[in-house]
Amino acid sequence: MTTEPTADEAARVRLWHRVSQFLFTEARLLDEWRLLEWYEEMLTDDIRYSVPATDVRGEPADALGLIDDDAARLRQRIGQLLNGEVWCENPRSRTNRMIGNVEILADRGTHLEVAANVVVHRFGQGRSDAYVGKCRWELVVEGESFRARRRVVVLDHETLYEHGKLSIIL
Amino acid sequence: MTTGLQRPAGDPIVVDDPGRLTFRVDRRAYTDDDLAAQEMTRIFDRCWLYVGHESEVPGPGCYVARDVGGRPVVMARGSDGVIRVFANSCTHRGALICSQPAGQARSFRCPYHDWTFSNQGELVGVPIPDGYGPGFRKADFGLARHRSDSYRGFVFVTFDPQQPRTLTEYLAGATEYLDLIDDQSEAGMEVIRGAQLHGARANWKLMMENSVDIYHFRALHKRYVGYMESLGSVPPRRRGGFGRALGLGHAANELPPAAARPLAHWTPMFGAEFRPRIEATAARFAERFGAERAERITRTNRALLIFPNLMIIDAIAITIRKIDPAGAGRMAITSVALAPKDEDPDIRELRKSHYLTFLGPAGFATPDDIEIVESCQRGCLNRTVRYSDLSRGMNKEVPETTDELPAREFWRQWDRLMQGDGGRFEVPHRAAGTPAGIPAGTPGAEAR
Repeated sequence: MTTEPTADEAARVRLWHRVSQFLFTEARLLDEWRLLEWYEEMLTDDIRYSVPATDVRGEPADALGLIDDDAARLRQRIGQLLNGEVWCENPRSRTNRMIGNVEILADRGTHLEVAANVVVHRFGQGRSDAYVGKCRWELVVEGESFRARRRVVVLDHETLYEHGKLSIIL
Repeated sequence: MTTGLQRPAGDPIVVDDPGRLTFRVDRRAYTDDDLAAQEMTRIFDRCWLYVGHESEVPGPGCYVARDVGGRPVVMARGSDGVIRVFANSCTHRGALICSQPAGQARSFRCPYHDWTFSNQGELVGVPIPDGYGPGFRKADFGLARHRSDSYRGFVFVTFDPQQPRTLTEYLAGATEYLDLIDDQSEAGMEVIRGAQLHGARANWKLMMENSVDIYHFRALHKRYVGYMESLGSVPPRRRGGFGRALGLGHAANELPPAAARPLAHWTPMFGAEFRPRIEATAARFAERFGAERAERITRTNRALLIFPNLMIIDAIAITIRKIDPAGAGRMAITSVALAPKDEDPDIRELRKSHYLTFLGPAGFATPDDIEIVESCQRGCLNRTVRYSDLSRGMNKEVPETTDELPAREFWRQWDRLMQGDGGRFEVPHRAAGTPAGIPAGTPGAEAR
């Protein structure tokens, strides 16, 4: 026996689908080094991108992290990555972002709280590293699509001893 | 790669020839597994080694567990308020008695058989004690306590029961620089929560050299220079300042700031809104310490190398960087930020923000440092090119910060210890007069 989805359920599935598509597009642009497009088309002007330290989980405001970029610094980071000034990303590393467990934690009308698990594989300079973490987005609703206003990647690694550095955008 | 423990006489690793103004290091020092193993016994088992900062164990029962010199240790503040450093190993069968990196506890319980130790190290609990004979005394099985001491809040440990020097004697001229750092707050300095734990696939000594090398700044860190320029602070091409020998392998670079300093040196990169507060702090320091010393504390950058594996860099922020070997070709790096305990919350945010811009595994500079030392490690595997050169500045009475004096001081002490003099050989720490044109500080001569 099959039951027709209610209108409510169908709307939730459509929203989840649109959110997933947004996250997949973001992952693809980052993998393809289309960083400016990502910055200009998928983020708000007051974007905050952060990666907390691996020994302090979550986002305690008083702690030092690994990355805490506002729009200006993220724009700088992108400019440096693209113009070849970042020695360790020249030649550019190859990356592959896998996104799973996409959940809409809260729908606040004007914006959504979204969570997903991410694995970013990075290859370059003879190295092969995987960054594993939980990503949280605050997505501002913009018509049928979104822009990210907050993007936090909480790494699951105890340390980055194996990786040494985090020179790409997760 | 292995070359054997015994090198023939006349085949030195460190070739120090002041007459010819040459200083070379045989690249086996970075790649040889036997040398790496020898370093653990001849250097890390003998020297005073940095463990952590007192602020990391602020109250009774607070502890941190970490590796120091290849050994797992616990630094704990006992219920009596005393900071002790213990072997993190149960006296029964060897398991770690503390597997949390940090916390607060009245006691440590070994998970294997529930032997329990107080935070002062005494064995206080043994299940089913009637399994032992009448000669068994708990007092004989307390945690092994290492000899530790602190200077201005920096806690060090030594694993050498015969270490002849007190910590202060060991630190030699480095105490002057630790004073300049700890004097930055009357309330005391503290480590900010959140450690940057990373590493590199390279020999640890390459990172020590990199950490005191200012010659590479404009070349390798073009991206950071560009970032500073975009914020209105243009670093000069010649950085000025001087390198200074501090005795026993310790050394420092001291130089005018290229950028701002969150304590009390404002430049446009910090934004106009911070200017009054930062200048008010500068005025307070001038009142407290007098103009000259205040200037040195607040408006001078320094990079301090404490032999063998501690770097404290006091510039756009203060970082404490502990660099631990993990065999010839790997290292672990622990970096934390140090700041005044009583810092204005807005300035603290500014400090953290600028710390992250430059430093750490995702900053605008450190990732390139990691990549370059890994590149050196790979390049050194081509054994045809036998030596690295560290002779810059040997032709000068006072080497500049773009010279290589601190690295030479490091290597000279490394060589003495590896030759087996055990660090007992006295290296005179000579404080020369202040040369003209150097605003503050007294460069020590190279210990040759």
